[in-house]
Amino acid sequence: MLDMKAISKVYQTDMVQTHALRDFNLHVAEGEFVAVTGPSGSGKTTFLNIAGMLEPFSGGQYCLDGVDIGKLNDNARADLRNQKIGFIFQGFNLIPDLNLYENVEVPLRYRGIKSGERKRRVEECLELVGLAGRAKHLPQQLSGGQQQRVAIARALAGRPRFLLADEPTGNLDSLMARQVMELLEQINREGATIVMVTHDPELARRAPRNIQIVDGRVTDFTLYQGRSVDTMMTAGG
Amino acid sequence: MFTHYIDLAWRSLRQTPMVTFLMILAIAIGIGVTMTTLSVYHMMSMDPIPQKSNRLFAVQMQTMDEGETWQTEDNIPYQLTYPDAINLQALPGDFARAAMIRSGFSVHLNTPSSKPFIENARVTGRDFFSMFDLTFIHGGAWTEAQSRSAAPVVVIDEEMAQQLFGKTDVVGESLFLGERRQEIVGVTQKWRPTIKFYDLNNGSFGKAERLFVPFSHVKAYDVDTWGNTNAWKFEETRDFNDKMNSEMVWIQFWVQLDTPAQRQAYGDMLMAYMQAQQKLGRFNREELSYGLQDVNAWMNYNDVISEDNKILVGLSFMFLAVCVANILGLLLAKFMRRAADVGVRRALGASKRQVFYQHLVEVGLLGLLGGSLGVLFAQLGLLGVRQSYDYYESLANMDWVMLLSAPAIAISACILAGLYPAWLVCRTTPATHLKVQ
Amino acid sequence: MFELKPTINALMRSKLGAVLLILQLAITLAIVSNAVSIIQDRMTYLNKNTGYPEDDIFKFNSLNFDKQSDLLQQVELDEQKLRGITGVIDAVAISSVPLSGSGSSGGMQLKPEPQESKRSNMGYVTGDEHVLSTLGVSVSEGRDFTEADVVVIDDSDARPSVVIVSRALSDALFGAGKGLGETIYWGADPLSIIGIVETMANQWPKSSFGEKMAIIPMLRVGNFQKYLVRTAPGERAQVMRQIEELMLSGHRDRVISDITGLDQKKARYDAKDVLMMRMLITLIVVLVIVTALGIFGLSTFNISKRTKQIGTRRALGARKSAIVRYFVVENALICAMGLMLGTAAAVLLGQQLMQWYSVPALGYSFIAITAGLLLMMSLLSVLMPALRAANISPSIATRSV
Repeated sequence: MLDMKAISKVYQTDMVQTHALRDFNLHVAEGEFVAVTGPSGSGKTTFLNIAGMLEPFSGGQYCLDGVDIGKLNDNARADLRNQKIGFIFQGFNLIPDLNLYENVEVPLRYRGIKSGERKRRVEECLELVGLAGRAKHLPQQLSGGQQQRVAIARALAGRPRFLLADEPTGNLDSLMARQVMELLEQINREGATIVMVTHDPELARRAPRNIQIVDGRVTDFTLYQGRSVDTMMTAGG
Repeated sequence: MFTHYIDLAWRSLRQTPMVTFLMILAIAIGIGVTMTTLSVYHMMSMDPIPQKSNRLFAVQMQTMDEGETWQTEDNIPYQLTYPDAINLQALPGDFARAAMIRSGFSVHLNTPSSKPFIENARVTGRDFFSMFDLTFIHGGAWTEAQSRSAAPVVVIDEEMAQQLFGKTDVVGESLFLGERRQEIVGVTQKWRPTIKFYDLNNGSFGKAERLFVPFSHVKAYDVDTWGNTNAWKFEETRDFNDKMNSEMVWIQFWVQLDTPAQRQAYGDMLMAYMQAQQKLGRFNREELSYGLQDVNAWMNYNDVISEDNKILVGLSFMFLAVCVANILGLLLAKFMRRAADVGVRRALGASKRQVFYQHLVEVGLLGLLGGSLGVLFAQLGLLGVRQSYDYYESLANMDWVMLLSAPAIAISACILAGLYPAWLVCRTTPATHLKVQ
Repeated sequence: MFELKPTINALMRSKLGAVLLILQLAITLAIVSNAVSIIQDRMTYLNKNTGYPEDDIFKFNSLNFDKQSDLLQQVELDEQKLRGITGVIDAVAISSVPLSGSGSSGGMQLKPEPQESKRSNMGYVTGDEHVLSTLGVSVSEGRDFTEADVVVIDDSDARPSVVIVSRALSDALFGAGKGLGETIYWGADPLSIIGIVETMANQWPKSSFGEKMAIIPMLRVGNFQKYLVRTAPGERAQVMRQIEELMLSGHRDRVISDITGLDQKKARYDAKDVLMMRMLITLIVVLVIVTALGIFGLSTFNISKRTKQIGTRRALGARKSAIVRYFVVENALICAMGLMLGTAAAVLLGQQLMQWYSVPALGYSFIAITAGLLLMMSLLSVLMPALRAANISPSIATRSV
């Protein structure tokens, strides 16, 4: 599904070059649920941005579902994001001017789906996250957990094969966090590939595969499955 | 506290220089345009002689036959016939009066070195000077006797005295009006009312005359008017004598009536005069009427303020409204973006009222800056007006009233625009914005 | 495709900003369309043909103060002298100057005074048989004056018996195309129309009777005399320069003044209208600039307020063009509402202006054209902020607040 080879990302400022990622290699297979952890400043967000084609990379090769991203122009990348990727953001990023229904509808509109089909899918996704009754509400009228569930509904509406989640529970209390996590696991079981960035070890432990980014490089913890994450964190730290 | 608000306002304006610039520009342009048209309007509508404008009256008489119409709102001609003017001049009573016409002469000193030039003249009675508050520097008005005998005398102003003789004390000197030698009996201070209110039928904004000649010269030397002569019926007029005896109207007439009682008495006298004339076969109409309007009413009656100017003032204020809407929008955007900052302030104990005032001070400052720049724009606008139409030379100026009005209007407009945004901002509950952050 | 419904919904939810823009556009449309209508009206007047080669004609005054001289003889001498100048085509002593705003007006009627009859207001000038030639006009019907037609007003009872009129005057009295050979009355005096000039403005071209002009072959001399001179094209300036000297030579007891071209006379007469036009044009230009700045400013603000949202939309798969489209459509919606409201306001303002002032009726085409231009201006002013919005990186979406 996702195949990164020797990806590097350099931020250039007047004075210094910062290597956010160097010689970054990662392969995620179809249907996997990968949790990405790492200390802050390690390059987690940069990885997520590149994986989601939100940011260009400086070197290396990135293939998503067999498509070489490096060769695509802006429009093609936008279309690919729209069709293949579902985003769940830490800050929910719901559009405040639009109600829940319209928020979930946004990616479908960009895909040019007819209104009947849009309606069906939006309602289905709101149903899935348990907010069907509040379609006309504005985001600011909801609690954080509800907002994140709308964001998930929005991510799912396009039926993406690849879900990118950035600290999806970061702004939520533990109960809500568990609900969201359960939702993600359910989606994964239904066949979607999920890459989730988190700093929460408990959450990471629930994912079948853990990787850690340290100083812009990847350390794969899949092999250590079953061992205490706490020890590993210490070992990796 | 106020200086603290000013300080905060200044910082806030500097924080968003682009928006601040746009807002100041908007208000400055609005004020510039409005002040340009308003200044001209103000100068046109200003009372030219405030100390006695309600005691000076222009006299009109309905001399036309039944059924004849005139271009005035009440169908009464602006001017009088010569016989009527002479008769009114002779009415008993202790009040100042002056018949007058606008005329002109070729003026020279009858020396080889003095080149004759054409000069406008006011041909009028000796009361003119006291009625319209002209000040004599040397000498005085011609005497009643000189007036009766049509003595060859004139009054000139200091500017003309300087021009002809190189000095102002020229009483006793003579000048020539055409071939006629006339003695200078008085020199007045320069007198240039913005509006030539005593002669509105020959161009309201013309320059006041510098040369004054007794009204008795009209008959004595055939001095014809250089202003309008109007006839309402056909009369054969072969020469000037015919004109003087005709029903043509060409003489302006002013009286000074200091009390309402005097005014009433004068009105009665006019009525009695007309009835007497009716017996002589004139004023062939059912109802007699006269006009007795003070300076401001007279200016209004004569439409001194042009239609174009009224339209422009109206449009300018609509324009200002657009600018206010513009600023309101920008302020709203700016203030709302700062809501978080206000949330912190509120959490730190600032009261709603303090937040409100802080923002009003900011928009007030904006108005002051915009208004000041607007005055500059208005000066440019007025310069343009003067260059486009030199007849408006003395009108297209800002007096101190306008200079002070400009920032006052600007600040009021800005505060008007700022009220709602400031209220919105001060209403923000401290908690909402702290939480989101 | 255009996200119309959610755009409208979003607009409805952020009411005030939109309402302000709508109001601004509405007032702008009302002002601009009415101002353009007034400008157009004045332009039509200013560009109207007066019938005269204004650039080749000039006038001057002579104020005589030598009572001894024979004024009539002096006028004839002057005329001869003027006609003799090289470059001068013709010259005439005339009672007043067309297009100058001052002179004599009156009525011409079908029956002599005091009988009631059809009457038409007109401006008239008097002079000898050189008037038409000096004014640079010629009759299209009938004939010009001859020396025999000219009457000198003195102690005798001689009165003029013929007249040449403009087409507008003969049409007003006798119907289109008629009038030649008919008799009209100037007071009690009968005048036979011997010639008709197609286009010939009188002294007050702006007035309701500005095209109605009569020329009466009559000389009445006085101390104050006006002269009109027509030169060959390009010769006027040099002739004007020598006038004063020439007129004073031989007869010093007079003042020569106001040596002015006919075009300048007209410019002075029209100065008020030109001023009004300039003011209105300035008003329109700055108004459009202010409105454009307003739209630009508000869009810029809206966009910076929505940076995160734009990033999110991009992350969710919006192409750059979709972002631009969003803002343009939003603006077009606001603009359309503003222009609809503005059309009503413009019509209302036009009616009010017409009721109180002498302005022409506001044509709907002015509103339509102005609205079209405002829409274009509005879209142009939103384009730059919208393009900038499209360049917002989608990675904004993952950045924490």
